[in-house]
Amino acid sequence: MQFFKKPNIDFIGIRKYGYMFSGTMILIALVLLIVQGPNYGIDFKGGVSMRVKFDSSVTVRMVRNSLSKIGYGNAEIKETSIQTAKGTEKEMIIQVELTNKPDEIASAVSAQLKKDFPKGLDIRSIDTVGPKIGGELRRAAIWAVLFALLLILIYITLRFEFRFAVGAILPLFHDVLITLGFFLIFRLEISLDVVAAFLTIVGYSLNDTIVVFDRIRENLKTRRRETFTQIINESINETLSRTVITSFTTFLVILVLFLFGGEVIHNFSFAMLVGVVIGTYSSIFVAAPLLVEWENYAPRHKKITEARIKKAHRAAKRR
Amino acid sequence: MKRKFWIRVIIIFVAVAWSLWQLYPTYKVHNLSAKEAEKLRLSGKLDKLQSKTIKLGLDLQGGMYLVLEVDLQQLLVNLAKHKDDTFYKVMNEVNKTINENPDLDYFTVLQQTFRKHKLRLNQYFGKVTQTDQQVIADLQKQADDAVDRSLEILRNRVDQFGVSEPNIQKRGNRRIVIELPGIQDIDRAKRLIGETALLEFKLLKDPDVTTEVLKRIDEKLKELQEAKGKAALPEKKKSKASVKKKMKSTAADTSTKKVITQKDIFGATEAAKDTSAQKDTTGLEVNQELFNEHPFLSLLRDFRSHGGEIAVPEKNKYAVQKILNMPEIKKIIPSDVEFVWASKPIPVGNENYYELYLLNKEPELTGKYVVDAGVQIGSGSSFTSAGKPIVTLKMNSEGAKIFAHVTGANINRRLAIVLDNRVYSAPVIRSKIPNGNAIIEGMGNMDEAKDLAIVLRAGALPAPVKIIEERTVGPSLGQDSIRQGTFSAILGFVLVILFMIFYYRLSGFLADLALLLNMLFIMAILAGFHFTLTLPGIAGIILTIGMAVDANVLIFERIREELRAGKTIRAAIDSGYGRAFVTILDANLTTLFAAIVLYQFGTGPIRGFALTLSIGILSSMFTAIVVTRVVYDYITEHFTLKKLSI
Repeated sequence: MQFFKKPNIDFIGIRKYGYMFSGTMILIALVLLIVQGPNYGIDFKGGVSMRVKFDSSVTVRMVRNSLSKIGYGNAEIKETSIQTAKGTEKEMIIQVELTNKPDEIASAVSAQLKKDFPKGLDIRSIDTVGPKIGGELRRAAIWAVLFALLLILIYITLRFEFRFAVGAILPLFHDVLITLGFFLIFRLEISLDVVAAFLTIVGYSLNDTIVVFDRIRENLKTRRRETFTQIINESINETLSRTVITSFTTFLVILVLFLFGGEVIHNFSFAMLVGVVIGTYSSIFVAAPLLVEWENYAPRHKKITEARIKKAHRAAKRR
Repeated sequence: MKRKFWIRVIIIFVAVAWSLWQLYPTYKVHNLSAKEAEKLRLSGKLDKLQSKTIKLGLDLQGGMYLVLEVDLQQLLVNLAKHKDDTFYKVMNEVNKTINENPDLDYFTVLQQTFRKHKLRLNQYFGKVTQTDQQVIADLQKQADDAVDRSLEILRNRVDQFGVSEPNIQKRGNRRIVIELPGIQDIDRAKRLIGETALLEFKLLKDPDVTTEVLKRIDEKLKELQEAKGKAALPEKKKSKASVKKKMKSTAADTSTKKVITQKDIFGATEAAKDTSAQKDTTGLEVNQELFNEHPFLSLLRDFRSHGGEIAVPEKNKYAVQKILNMPEIKKIIPSDVEFVWASKPIPVGNENYYELYLLNKEPELTGKYVVDAGVQIGSGSSFTSAGKPIVTLKMNSEGAKIFAHVTGANINRRLAIVLDNRVYSAPVIRSKIPNGNAIIEGMGNMDEAKDLAIVLRAGALPAPVKIIEERTVGPSLGQDSIRQGTFSAILGFVLVILFMIFYYRLSGFLADLALLLNMLFIMAILAGFHFTLTLPGIAGIILTIGMAVDANVLIFERIREELRAGKTIRAAIDSGYGRAFVTILDANLTTLFAAIVLYQFGTGPIRGFALTLSIGILSSMFTAIVVTRVVYDYITEHFTLKKLSI
């Protein structure tokens, strides 16, 4: 069984369509990022988030009324349904934003809910994050991403060449930005889990890119008669079936996780789902073409290759 | 070739055997019937078996995760000496700067602020001979030390509280992370941890002195009120009060009690400013005639006639505290004494009363001499504690000596037992107590007494701790998460297995075998190295399922290419593995870097994800490269294949 017998798609030739797509997506993401800003969860803002399971008769309005009695009527209340062994049940997520004493809010809210809904109430989780922590976590996340990128940059430079390292790192920003764009479009909440997902996307997309680059490196050594662009195009084609198959299996399991993994890691799996697709796309349409662009501006391999071709011609003439 | 083959086979078998051995306890405990579990428990083997199972994170088994921060600001106030108004003023400025810019280093700000006010740090900290730099270095050391001590003390408290497998760790310089799996009473645990447990024995001022101080406050307050708009305020109040009087005239004893709002005491602007006062509308209960003459005393009740102290109705407590905090009032209270509230109200009729004690500021004795604390039920000989839980204290010889001296010199005076600035009891000293034994009364119930004994035994925290992050997961959510996670993993696994067989036929089956072993190894490593499995950890395993086949896909695709290029089956397999290996190494190592960084920076749950992902990457490289190769080698060695099923 084979999806691609011997693919010969001119990826480099159509790369400007990829640039257009990527450019548009990144532009949308950046505009949204500036205009509306990310929807940070309480992990980053500080505040209280509670998951509460209610009796089926309890509505959001009733919960809000109950909370207004203690001055938290402005809390954000979301309703979700969860599948349990007993069938479908109702769960609500109650969020109160950053105040001075978050842990007192948590106690006050749970006491009030216990008072007003004594039956069928199950407080499933309480997350309280102080305002100071939020800022720190945000900074830590950014440093982690930058540090990871630096490590990767060094490794690839050592194993390949600097230009490959840049060609591998730039698409990572591309992938994270576009995935972030999806979160901005759907106003999804960015929690610590989502940041973890972003870092995983970085790792995954890199994995894909490295496989393509590896083949380029190999072909540069063996196929001396072809131009740089040709080699890159062929390398993408040769690794295409592997790229698609691995992405497919990964996508498959994350889709399952997204559909059946439960509400708690919903945003996490959504980020991964988008990230796998974008990561695969970028290693074909962004990473490898970047090498071509680099070559066009600072030709090194081209010269070498041309010199080789000339030399081969001369040798042929002499014979 | 032949020898290499057998070495590989042996490695694989050892790995599988080790994995099964590591996973057996988990399997066993999971399948125990209630009866068998009880039998094992009785023989004391269950705990040992359970400690070898895969450890579940708080998000899967329910529990509590706390991040505490030692209150530096309070610690420095505790460390300082010769504290005067200037000191408090400057410290408040430091705190304000820090709260506005949490990024700044506390000690730098401290030094700068002191310098700005032309104050030398050695006025308040350290020795006079020390320079500012030396003082700062000293303070930094003491702060680090305070965190380490807090860590030890909290560890002791939690151990005695009786949580199975708690995890208490220092994070960074100032923080402590506490994980309490399966905890039920969250509020009780939080109280136990947050309690500073500063135990002090302080002498009460004589009733005459107390009366004198109260009188002076009263006069000062009256003076202040009169200075603030003489006529307007009382006029208004009277008319309002008379309306209320009519409304309440049915109740016999209210004839002299009026409802007066806080405006009457603090003036309109004061009350409006104070938005936190919920009692604004409740009104305060005072005696009307008394109020005009004695604005402060009218808020109090005298319990001294029946052996008590000054008491304040619960409603008035806030107002009284506020008056005591007024700077003008603070000035007229002698500097060596302070007012301290009772820990618990006394119910009289429908009303709760809080006693207010005037104590010497300097304690006679502190809790650092306490060597043991226990819980008992009070005997019948004492009417205040009969039948109620009390905490007994035992002091070391030095403490006993001081205690004997203090009690001997102050017979018939009252000694207040103050914990975290609240008076628990204030017994009259009847005789000299030579053996260093004391009791604390005033506990509401047995749990409270037990918790108090725990914190006293474990010692006082050097400074209060603030809870800055708290995550609690109920057991039901944990179970749902496990169920959903396991279901997703199995479904994803089955789909990938089917796809691989469909796409690569027999070779796909081989990759599936590798995948199965991969899962086995991941679980065994989790169990064997006592790593914790969290919900994101399960997500990591699921992601690994998707990515683990990658190495085999790379190899298989390469073999196909080689076959297409016209190589023999054996040569194609050889160069397929050989060439794919470099790629697999590069690709997986870079992913591993990302995972390691994730593990380093991440908090609890994220670390779980990074952990399983890292283990998965390493283990999948082993299974994909070594395991499948062995099978290929065996087949090509023993059979002559015409066609490779790939």
